[in-house]
This record gives sequence, C-alpha cells and structure tokens, in this order.
Amino acid sequence: MPWRRPRKHVERARDVDRSVEEMLQQKAEHAEEDEAVDLAALDGASVVEAAMGEPDQPQPPSELATKLGEAVAGVDLESEAAGPAGARGARSLGRGSSRPVPADAGTFGQAHSSTPSSRASLLAPSPAASQDEASDPLEVVVSLPEAGIDLQVEAARGLWLKNPVMTASGTFGQGTEYAELIDVSRLGAIVNKGTTVHARPGNPQYRIAETPSGILNSIGLENPGAEAVAKRYGRAWAELGVPVIVNVAGYSVEDYVTVVREMEGTPGVVAYELNVSCPNVKGGMLFGMDPGLAAEVTRAVKAETGKPVIVKLTPNAPDVVAVARACEEAGADALTSINTVLGMRIDTKKRRPVLGTGSGGLSGPAIRPIAVHITYQVAQAVSIPIIGAGGITNAADALEFLMAGASAVQVGTATFADPLAPIKVVEGLAAYVRENGLSSIRDIIGAAQAKRDSAGTEYAQ
Amino acid sequence: MILETGRVVSTETVADLGTVLVVSSPGIATRAHAGQFVHVRPGDRFDPLLRRPYSFNGIDRKRGEIELIVKPLGEGGEWIAERRGGDPLDLLGPLGTSFVVHRATTHLLLVAGGTGIAPMKVLAEQAAAAGRNVTLIMGGRSIHHLWPAHRLPPAVEYVTTTEDGSFGIRGRVTDAMPEYLSWADQLCACGPWPMLAAVGRMRDEAARSTSVIAGRDVLLDAQIAVEQHMGCAMGVCRACVIVTAHGNARVCREGPVLSLGDVRFEGGEPATVGVIT
Repeated sequence: MPWRRPRKHVERARDVDRSVEEMLQQKAEHAEEDEAVDLAALDGASVVEAAMGEPDQPQPPSELATKLGEAVAGVDLESEAAGPAGARGARSLGRGSSRPVPADAGTFGQAHSSTPSSRASLLAPSPAASQDEASDPLEVVVSLPEAGIDLQVEAARGLWLKNPVMTASGTFGQGTEYAELIDVSRLGAIVNKGTTVHARPGNPQYRIAETPSGILNSIGLENPGAEAVAKRYGRAWAELGVPVIVNVAGYSVEDYVTVVREMEGTPGVVAYELNVSCPNVKGGMLFGMDPGLAAEVTRAVKAETGKPVIVKLTPNAPDVVAVARACEEAGADALTSINTVLGMRIDTKKRRPVLGTGSGGLSGPAIRPIAVHITYQVAQAVSIPIIGAGGITNAADALEFLMAGASAVQVGTATFADPLAPIKVVEGLAAYVRENGLSSIRDIIGAAQAKRDSAGTEYAQ
Repeated sequence: MILETGRVVSTETVADLGTVLVVSSPGIATRAHAGQFVHVRPGDRFDPLLRRPYSFNGIDRKRGEIELIVKPLGEGGEWIAERRGGDPLDLLGPLGTSFVVHRATTHLLLVAGGTGIAPMKVLAEQAAAAGRNVTLIMGGRSIHHLWPAHRLPPAVEYVTTTEDGSFGIRGRVTDAMPEYLSWADQLCACGPWPMLAAVGRMRDEAARSTSVIAGRDVLLDAQIAVEQHMGCAMGVCRACVIVTAHGNARVCREGPVLSLGDVRFEGGEPATVGVIT
C-alpha cells in the first residue's frame, strides 16, 4: 500500500520562511499522521521528519563550546543527554558546563550612561540561570572572554549596545537560523534580512558566485514582506536576547515609511537600517546614489518613528560623502559604511554572466580596503556614529574600521565561511582592550584619523 | 546540526567520479541521515571563501565516520580533494532534509546519476541491512563515472547505464527505469537536473494518464535530492532557492530532498525563480 503524504503536511512548504519554533510546533502536530520511518532508526538513531520537514532538532552547542576553548556557553544538559550524541555529551559534562546568563534585555535600545555600573545588570542572575541548579551564573559570566571588559558603544544616536559587533543584513536571516549554532545573545545587535512592504520572490538563478576573497550575490531582496516578518519573528526576536535592527528596503519613500509603520511595536526591534543601496533590484540603489533622495527618505522615516534610523551607504554613489552629509542633515542617527560593491563574473564556457541578473553585489575581504577608506572619509564629514561593514572576518579587521572612525561594525559574508566569526570578533576586541590596557573599546574609535577638523568628530575621542 | 573539526581517515580517487574522503566526525556521523549533506570549509582562510556542500556517500555511526565524494571542481573543491589522512576538516552539518523510506516499502528502487550516487548508496546500504529488496539503477557518462558495483552491499541488485555504452545499458538511467517501476513500491532519485527533470516528465505522464500504468503510484510519490549553488547552507542567504509547487524553497533547508511532484522544472533545469524587477 503506497504511503501518501498527508496534504497538510505538504502545505508546510508554502511559506518562504518560517521560524524554527513554528516548524517544530507544526512538526509535533503532524507527527502522528506521518507513517514514514527513516531507515536509520533501525540502527538506533531517532526517527527523522519526512521530506519537507525540518531535518534535525536544533543541536545544543556543546561542540561549539569546545571549539571556543574555555568559554562554555549555552550547553543544555537536558537536551544533550536526550540527544543522540551520548558520548559527546559525556565529554561536555566534564567541563562544568552551565547555561549562560542572558544579557539583560531591559537595557537594550535605551540611551544610558556608559559607565561601568550599567554592566551590573549583566552580572545579575537571570530567572533562567537561577532555575538551573548546576550553574553558578557569576562563574559563567567571568568565563566569557568579553566579560568585565567595557565594549559598550553608541552605535547610533540613542542606541547603546553592549558591544560593537553586529551581523550584516542578508547574512544572518532573521537571527533564528544561526541561533541554532551560536549564542547570538553575545552579539551587540543583529540586522535582519532586507524587508519590503510586500513579499518578494527574489531574482533568477544563479544568485551567488565566488570571487577572489569574496562573493558576488544577487538575491533580489527575497523576503515575506513586513507584515509577515513582524508576525512570524516578533516573538522569536523578543527571546533571542539580542537587539534587532530591521533592514528596510523599498522603491519609493512611501515604501520605506510603510515598512517602518508595519514593524513598529515588534518585540526586540530597537532601530531601523535603511537599505537605500541594494544593487540587485531595479531602483533599489536609487535613493543611495543621490544626496537629495537619500535625505528625503531619511526625513520621511524619521517622521514615522522615534527609534534610531541608520542609513546604509552605497559605495557605488558618485559622491558617498555628500550622501552621508545629506543623511546627517536629514536627521539620520547613524550611517552604515558600506553596502556591496557592484561587480560581475562571466562564465567563459557559456559566454554569459554567471549571475542571473548579470551584475551583483561584491562582499567579503575583497572589498575591505574600499570600505575602510569610505568609513575614514565619512567619519571626517559627519558627527553621527558610523557602523563599519565590508569584509570583516576577525577582530583585527574590525579594529581597522573602529580606528577609521566607526563606532560599531557588522560582520557579514565571513559568517558563511565561519559561523563563529561574529563571536570571535567580540572576543578579539575584548582581548585587544585588555591587552592594551584601554579603559574601553571607545578609546580607539577614530584613532587612525590623521586630523580632526572642526567639522565635528567629537564623538571619536 | 553542529560545527565539528573532522579528521580525514583515508582518501582514494575513484576513477573519474571523484575523490572519496572518509572523515572521522562522530558528532555529525551520529546525527546524519541519507540525503542530508555536510558543508565543508576549503581551508581556514577566506579565499576561497564559500564552504562546499557534499551529500553523505557513507554514514558509519559505529565508527563515527562519514564518507564524501569530492569532485575537484574549482579552487575550493580541489583543496578539499587534496586532503590526506590525518588532515583536519572544518565541517558544518548534517544539513537539510533526508530521504524517508516508508514503513510499508518492501521493494525500493533507487536511481542515481553521476555523483548523485552518494545518497542512493547510503539508502541502499541502510535498506538492504533492514532486509528490504533494493534495486539501484546507476548511470554515468562512462564506466569511469560509475560507483564500483562490488562496493555495494551484496543484497543490492544493480543496473548500470552509460552514455557511451562502456558498461551496462547504453543510454541514461531513465531508459532503464520503466522496467522496474512496476516492481517497486517506492522510488528515490538523485542526480543532475536534466536527469531529475526526465524523471519528472515520467511522473507528469503518469499523472496525466487515465489508464492504468504500472508504477504510477511509485512515480507520483517519488522523492528526489536536488542541488543548487549554495552560500551559507543555514537558510539565511537565499542563494540556493528553487521553485516548488508551494513557493520558493531553500535547497539547504526545505531540501535537498523534496517530493518530485513539488519541484518545478523548465526544460532540463530548475524553473526560473522570481522575476527581474
């Protein structure tokens, strides 16, 4: 008797994107209907889901903790013991593992003093930690390399983060995906995938191509639309333990305003980053190319929300510094420097561009010198915080941006190669502060600026 | 899924199929299922930058080892194929969906094209060990592009096709399939897009037909594993998206194993995603 996939079961693939939580819930609902059995179950492994389901339970990051050396973070004893990897679990148990203490979400998104006293909240045992009998919260916090180091920065006017490290839009999904692998609560903030008013299917294949020390992409802002993003991820964002910055994209001023309106009030959201620089959709880069248009969209969004508004600059603009100045005058609270650089690869066998859209956006270490240079130039021209982005793979790369004048950084493409890269940047910056006897990471912001003109770099002391 | 530094146990070039790497990776081997894949980092720097996805060609839970077929394509593929015994390998996996053999299946038909043999071999081994009747149709350009038949479990019956006629039936796997469809009560396939599209056309014909066709149910219910250029393999970058009956699907998350009936083809290729706007 041939087995038929229950209709509802197949329906689960309809959504272009769903939270892990949602999937697991649906999986549980359909578990009984599913007669299918994985053969692997016969030699002792657990039964897995049918073809369209989520393949694997989120794994406890015990192996990750091992990779991170002495920093044991997020080992969940219960699920480790219940999981199939008994032998590895036993190894983890020997490390005095316990839950990490989630940072106090209450401090996110509020302008507060950067004095060390605000870190006290990080040391307080959270409810989650106190329920875990095996844990000693203080000990765990101290074991994190960044604990006790002042990494706080004002990433945008009014937005203080516990450290300068964010993820870059489009390389971290909605934050829930990599949360299966790393402790995202150790990051300063995450930036979600570019969000538009309506759902977008994205661009034709191929959407990605490798280049020397980088990648070209032309995804085309595939996303389920603002309303769906807010609905699906709001709850997850509230529980991630890390502030979320929503990346907003559009084709008209009204589009940007509408997305922000839809996202207002979504849990976890602390700021907006305006993607006025997407090279992969027609008109997407328009606003970022022209100082007047960039200012117009900035002003309109500022009028819509009280949250900080960050504008992501494109290196493809004829005069990036002019765009940066215009955004600052229009009320932008920070600038992200930079988005991808336009590029192309040709398939010499097929005699046509590799990417389906022809050209795409270049990212990765290949563009880092361009990004550092623009950051340096923009830092001289504006007095609002700058968030450096472009090819950052480790703390040394991040320091280049900070010394060029950025107050925070975004790690993007590097995460694809090394999912631990953002966390390693946090740890590396902490080590730098400690080893150089700095009072805080803020000491080195703008340190490489040759001259400080009166145009205002006073935040970069 | 986990990040794990595996250690290469042995490597061996299997004719023109590619280099077969046996990697000690207990954490991944314990969790892996047929059809899933592992994302391998080519080196510890960022050039080449992207990890490479490889379907499991073998899963040995007892020894904690996995087996991969690596084609030395591009700089990254070459680097991975050049690894030798004892070398560390940065692995992320297991990722994606897996093939699911139904409880009621007693006769399992597996169809593999080229390196698509990998998940079919794992399924063949597991199904044969579980006492099911397995027939594996494997095809390639020539005898040098086939998995050595003597390295399949003895209980697995196999049929080979080569495009140049150097071994077995001259032609493609889909030429050999009709004969076995009535024998089977479940079909799983993996291979290049043109092959999967050909199987898809067989399914479409069966679906349209009003008369009784042998193997109709088997075709309608078939599962396939697909491939697509991939970025993160974590579901965030949306590089590997294909079109399905239910909208866009990420090969790395909703795939690589999908219901054949859900996948949309255009000619011998995946259907075009989206529109240029």
